[in-house]
Amino acid sequence: MGEKSEVVIKLFGFLDVTGEVITMWIILAVIAAISLVVKLSLKERPGKFQNMIETGVEYLDNFFADNLGRKKSRKYFTFLASLFVFIIFSNYSGLIPGVGLTDYVKAPTASLSVTLALGVITFLFLQISGFRHNKKHYFKRFVMPIAFMLPLLILDEFIKPASLALRLYGNIFGEEMVTEELYHVFPIGAPVVMMVLSILFCALQAIVFTMLVSIYLEEVTED
Amino acid sequence: MNNSSIIAIAAALAIAISTLGPSIAQGMTAKSAMESIARQPDSAKDIRSSLIISLALMEALTIYGLLIAFMLISKI
Repeated sequence: MGEKSEVVIKLFGFLDVTGEVITMWIILAVIAAISLVVKLSLKERPGKFQNMIETGVEYLDNFFADNLGRKKSRKYFTFLASLFVFIIFSNYSGLIPGVGLTDYVKAPTASLSVTLALGVITFLFLQISGFRHNKKHYFKRFVMPIAFMLPLLILDEFIKPASLALRLYGNIFGEEMVTEELYHVFPIGAPVVMMVLSILFCALQAIVFTMLVSIYLEEVTED
Repeated sequence: MNNSSIIAIAAALAIAISTLGPSIAQGMTAKSAMESIARQPDSAKDIRSSLIISLALMEALTIYGLLIAFMLISKI
């Protein structure tokens, strides 16, 4: 896609670490720290912070239950929720001032490599969970109504994750580019317009990604 | 006209034309969703979630055009 990644650190001499990877490490550390703090200070009567996190988890639980049903959403909750949390954190990391200006910190989801990796993970997750849920149904799904749709349906399995990855990448990358262009036009004030819109779009993209994954999951695991 | 000015026009056309169809479609989708919410406020929650999905799917078409435009611009 004409995208070049700038290697900033050579770890152990052969591992190329880019700015996106560093930002992902920071995000992982932040998420892990928040989870640890909440886990260690769990109380019967929640305080302000625990209440906030509980509201978020409850929202996600209801959100997936709307698409999947309560039983299945609880079963796959760990994967879907971590996908959501990771994507929303990486999207919002692009809004922090200074991120994207240097090679050391960049928004991870504004890179095609990261979103394609998410797409590949989703692809494997959908195939494996569909196969493990019902082996007969997994193969029957391809040929059951009409057999000549088989090539199209197989192609569809690969197009789904690719379109998920491209949508996320295009949205976040486009936002970053527009903000940067506005910054060049008029440095003070102009980027704020796009950044306010970004606050909405970043959350929306994370919601859309996980919602589509849960709909695809419903498709492969239906009884 | 030299090569880079043709590429610039192509990039502008790529994003402009790929915006036309999806924007009309999104307008129609939003209109009918609003009408159904006004008619049946109880089902607003279901309508909203399917509205967001369908808008996102249409948005993807514009995004493809945007990607092509950025790819073209990087070639100038």
